[in-house]
Amino acid sequence: MKVFLMFSDKNISAKGETYYAKDDLVADLELEPIISCMAQKDETIKTMCRAALFSPLKSADEIRYRQENLKDALQNPDAVRQLYDITVETEKKRKKAWLWLSSMYLSSTFSNAVDLVKLYTEMLRELRLVADRSLPGFRSDGFRRLLAMFQRELDDDYFQTVRSHLESLRDSKGMLISSKLGSHLQGVGYVLRRNDRKGFWTRWRFAPSYTIAPRDDAGATDLVRRCDRAINEATNALAQAAEHLEDFFAVLRGELAFYVGCLNLADQLRRLDMPVCMPELLPQSGSSRNWKELYDISLALTKNGKVVGNDLNTGDKRLYIITGANQGGKTTFLRSIGQAQLMAQCGMFVGAGSFAAPVRPLIFTHFKKEEDSAMKSGKLDEELLRMSRLADHLESGALMLFNESFAVTNEREGSEICRQITQALIENGVEVFSVTHLDVFAEAFLEDRRTQYLRAQRLENGERTFKIIPGEPLRTAYGEDLYRQIFATAK
Amino acid sequence: MFYSVLFPDSAAFSRQAQQENEPECFKDLNLGQVFEPIFKANKDFGLESLFYTPLQNTQVIAYRQDVMRELENDELRGMVAKFAKTVWSLGRRMDLTRKALASGRDGDNNYLAKGRMLDYAQRYCHAVSTLSGQLAGMTLRSEGLRGFSEYILSLCSSQRYKEFYSRVERLRGDFSAVEYCMLIKNGTIRVRKREGQPDLSEQIIKTFEKFRQGDVKDYRQNLPEESYAAHVEAAVLNMVAGLYRDTFADLNDFCKEYIRFDDETLFRFAREVQFYLSWLDYIRPLRAAGLPFQYPEISETPDDLYNREGFDIALAAFLLEKTVKNDFMLKKPEQIIVVTGPNQGGKTTFARAFGQTHYLASLGLCVPGREAKLYLFDHIFTHFSREEDISTLNGKLQDDLVRLRDLLSGASEKSIIIINEIFTSTTVNDAVTLGRYMMDALTALKAPAVIVTFLDEIANYGANTVSMMSMVEKDDLTQRTFKIVRKPPDGLAFAIYIAGKHGLTYELLSRRLKK
Repeated sequence: MKVFLMFSDKNISAKGETYYAKDDLVADLELEPIISCMAQKDETIKTMCRAALFSPLKSADEIRYRQENLKDALQNPDAVRQLYDITVETEKKRKKAWLWLSSMYLSSTFSNAVDLVKLYTEMLRELRLVADRSLPGFRSDGFRRLLAMFQRELDDDYFQTVRSHLESLRDSKGMLISSKLGSHLQGVGYVLRRNDRKGFWTRWRFAPSYTIAPRDDAGATDLVRRCDRAINEATNALAQAAEHLEDFFAVLRGELAFYVGCLNLADQLRRLDMPVCMPELLPQSGSSRNWKELYDISLALTKNGKVVGNDLNTGDKRLYIITGANQGGKTTFLRSIGQAQLMAQCGMFVGAGSFAAPVRPLIFTHFKKEEDSAMKSGKLDEELLRMSRLADHLESGALMLFNESFAVTNEREGSEICRQITQALIENGVEVFSVTHLDVFAEAFLEDRRTQYLRAQRLENGERTFKIIPGEPLRTAYGEDLYRQIFATAK
Repeated sequence: MFYSVLFPDSAAFSRQAQQENEPECFKDLNLGQVFEPIFKANKDFGLESLFYTPLQNTQVIAYRQDVMRELENDELRGMVAKFAKTVWSLGRRMDLTRKALASGRDGDNNYLAKGRMLDYAQRYCHAVSTLSGQLAGMTLRSEGLRGFSEYILSLCSSQRYKEFYSRVERLRGDFSAVEYCMLIKNGTIRVRKREGQPDLSEQIIKTFEKFRQGDVKDYRQNLPEESYAAHVEAAVLNMVAGLYRDTFADLNDFCKEYIRFDDETLFRFAREVQFYLSWLDYIRPLRAAGLPFQYPEISETPDDLYNREGFDIALAAFLLEKTVKNDFMLKKPEQIIVVTGPNQGGKTTFARAFGQTHYLASLGLCVPGREAKLYLFDHIFTHFSREEDISTLNGKLQDDLVRLRDLLSGASEKSIIIINEIFTSTTVNDAVTLGRYMMDALTALKAPAVIVTFLDEIANYGANTVSMMSMVEKDDLTQRTFKIVRKPPDGLAFAIYIAGKHGLTYELLSRRLKK
């Protein structure tokens, strides 16, 4: 029984691809709020959404398969959530049973394993019932195949067969254990002893005794553990029987988790009255970008309100240089692009009114960083080292986002380093967005027709709109205004 | 009468308020990183507040410096360390056990708790008698350790202690003879003395051995030999007590009589001495790598401050013998050190070392360097560049300025100021203007300061400014020496050489991307 909701021909790995510099990407694009909104405190959703985000798809077919499934999930949210809840419930029940029974892995009693298999069987039945009810509403290949499989493989005869297998194994004999006293008089050196010798019960019937109270869960668990200690060596047998079932539920939960995460995020953005759309992905060789109301989802979630979006309509560009006043929305703009591209690559919707962009199976960020607390090197060295490592992994068709990079040396030198790196990247098929204060660098591409200049908008009266508009760099960064403003309020 | 190994008397001890939170400068100075392994290795002692509380009294600092100097004797340190560790952990556990034994609840006050008390008592006696015997033969110089040694010797020779010790040994012998059997069935445990039944596990293993096919997941667990529910274990032990009445009655008497066997002063010593021991442990590998440590002079005025061969102790933990040592000196009217020069030349490290050394000295610890005179400060203020944080919704430059304003309004002339690479997110002209405002404010403040900057203009500020530069090798401009020396700023920079070193010039990067 294969799940195959993420790919048409394989399961997704929970570990995700080994995406280089993943942590930087998460921090720079502020992905954490997005991931936690998707997860809603569910660790599985978190893990799986991360795995999906960091395994960008390369082929348009793969992206389309997932987009179709996601559209279907958005159309049938209740059924998808029901399926997912069953897998969660299964795990919850399993965990609860684990605690009460002191685990099939720990416990030696056959009945533990039997109960576990029973539990899984019941939950398989629940899945089948959801399939019976909701199959007609689904249109996508992925969901239709899965639900039909439940109906086919898990019919009533099958459950009858399982039940008959489970009716045999019970053990109600008492257990005899010998012990000595340890350092603080606790029992140690347990050995399981035979108790079927002649006259045994005559001697033991009136021995001092202690009975666990009916609601004493800890006491009951203690008895199980006590027995475990005595029979640890002798039991290892039935436990493996339930392993296959457990794995199946884990895979199912994991793949559904991605779609439930998407539902959660879509719900939240709808509440904030922010648009989402299915992106249109152009071939990798493309060089036009076209979007309306593209916004920073993470900022909207953090602010818990509406945020400013930006429009762009370009063709045949490979370098975007963004300049302008501090706090003008440049970093936010950069994040919105990175988020949308990354989400689009894994088959998700994006935070925009409309969005069309080339496939970019690799996205890297190079944002200015806090002093490296590992102290292996100075700041410029750290930035260059980081860049150099990214260069080891960069390939044609990648998207590179720079935020105030190489501004740690003086401006003239920083500009030159930045210009050389940027030039090399764009000539080798890497698309570059660069937010910069390095005036000399910013002005170096004024003659290049494949460079798009953008600027944080500032009105005549000095007010910032947080809009990013086409425009070449202006000089000065308004630092002195800010100084006066801040030190005046101190008085 | 001896009271504390950290303060000369109980009055000084109670005057000093302990700080529970990490001082703000820790992150920037990487002190958190220095102390973290110490806290981790000594988690049980809760040493944090001792390292978070700088002293402002030169006498207490001298008292500590004396104790620490004496503890540098390996033999003495070994004995004290072992004792401190044992007694501290026993003391903390005994507190819990006492609470349990004072409680009326069966769940707490039972034979398991009594068993624990017997165990702790045995280990306590062993530790105390051992150290007392060892110290008896030694001559101690520091006020703190001499006082302690007299204290423990007189404790051990008391009649009460001797009786206590022999009682413990006798009980332990009696309990080693106890053996019993449990029968567990339907939620009930029955107990009898051990009989001769055979080992069932062995028989089962033999019976099922033939089904083994090959490797499967091993479901056996490494189970602790501790009961899951203490009340069940206690109930079992109660039944065992009914089978061995005399032995358990003896234990009851013992627990009543000796409930307060551990000594508060020893207990306090055990924790406090760990402050010295943990630091000496921490710097041992650094010393072994040839790095110098010293007990500095502490000055109440900022007129003449210096350190010879100081270093960044956090960085030294990685670099060891490769650590570069640097001097500093501030002689009236000098007040502000401005460090410029090529990047990754050790400027930040130098600034950190300045702050670290002062902080460590204020705790009474030995500090990096050969010979130093350091300032008795009230507060260290730092300003290092920070990552943008979306939750503040603030720009970087604004953040810089707000933090600078807060710093200046909190500081006094008794403070130490360290500012690293401020105003980097704006244009050069802007940065120079803002930098000058900052220097005016620092001059008016009069507190000693270290500024790291790429702006040569700031290094030329005035007579109270000492310009220092990070240096490069003469033959290879990309090679840093990490030496910081007094020298006017020369405006040279080497950024493009470094880019080349990382393979990031236009030609080199293009070649890499084509592959």
